[in-house]
Amino acid sequence: MIEEIHVLGVYMPAALVWAIGAAVLVYLLRVPIQRLPIYRLLWHPSLFELALFALLWWGLSASADLLLPHGVLS
Amino acid sequence: MLHRHNLLRSIATLLVLLVILAAIYALWIRYQVEPVTRDGKVRADMVPVAADVSGLVTEVRVADNGEVKRGDVLFVIDRPRYRIALEQAQAVLASQQAALAQAVREDRRNRAMTDVIAAEAIEQGRARVEELRAAIGQASAARDLARFNLERTIVRAPVDGTVSNVSLQPGVYLTAGKPALALVYTRSMRVEGYFEETKLPAIRVGDPASVYLMGVADEIKGHVESIAGGVEDRERAGADGQLANVNPSFTWVRLAQRIPVRIAIDAIPANVRMIPGQTATVVVHPRDDGRAVRRSLPW
Repeated sequence: MIEEIHVLGVYMPAALVWAIGAAVLVYLLRVPIQRLPIYRLLWHPSLFELALFALLWWGLSASADLLLPHGVLS
Repeated sequence: MLHRHNLLRSIATLLVLLVILAAIYALWIRYQVEPVTRDGKVRADMVPVAADVSGLVTEVRVADNGEVKRGDVLFVIDRPRYRIALEQAQAVLASQQAALAQAVREDRRNRAMTDVIAAEAIEQGRARVEELRAAIGQASAARDLARFNLERTIVRAPVDGTVSNVSLQPGVYLTAGKPALALVYTRSMRVEGYFEETKLPAIRVGDPASVYLMGVADEIKGHVESIAGGVEDRERAGADGQLANVNPSFTWVRLAQRIPVRIAIDAIPANVRMIPGQTATVVVHPRDDGRAVRRSLPW
């Protein structure tokens, strides 16, 4: 389990880093997703983006726990 | 057509909401419930080595951070002074013995001539013998104590370990009982994870655990040795035997307290050095033994 990530000697909780990563990904994915037909089905497009963010956050955490060996980032 | 479209929109939005809740739940389990803590410390028992006798330090036989075995000499205190004290005690004992021998001879002689010697004088002679016997007991105890003190001028390591923070130099005057250097008992090395009390139900004694030292990639294997028997109640002051003094607090936000969980080390990878005080991340892997821990949801 990756619990913390250090950036230039500062140890941060991994959750924070994955959240930033998820937010950046959602920002990048916004434009392509807006072209999808599903987008017109939603009352609140921002709700979909929030869902995407939460999913990506959890996905990044879980896949980092599974795939990243200790010592790659932490 | 419009009606069907609206229904579809509602369902899609509901689905999205469910996905958000599910993801939040998964995140909450991962970060708030699974028994993991970044708040762990490497710890070891420490013996503050103190001299049993006061005096000048005449010799220091350990270097800072050196490893010592049990019984190794750490430093020596003013032996000549304590040797002189022993000689003095021996001399006192010898003089008492001489005095006793003389008193015994006098007493024997007095008792053989009861016709010429006053009864009072005979009694005095007998009392003198008894006094001297008692004085010899005292002097012999004093000699033993002096010998013991002389032995204690050589300060030995009470346990195997590493001496640390040694700044002792010959010429320093040590008073008895004052710690002179710290000896870290290497075999008591363990990791203590300070787990939030909310994570504690998942932890049982004997569960395997992984420990990661800050900045070290290699895993240190261990197992849960014990869980603290109690922590301080921070809301309450006052000693035993007094009335309870409870802090009149009203808290909107409460934080989970930390409970120390002791992790015994099973295997340390080669080249990994554990130093008491180091920061560690502790991951406990709960065994699948059919235990039922009912987790409370976030409320």
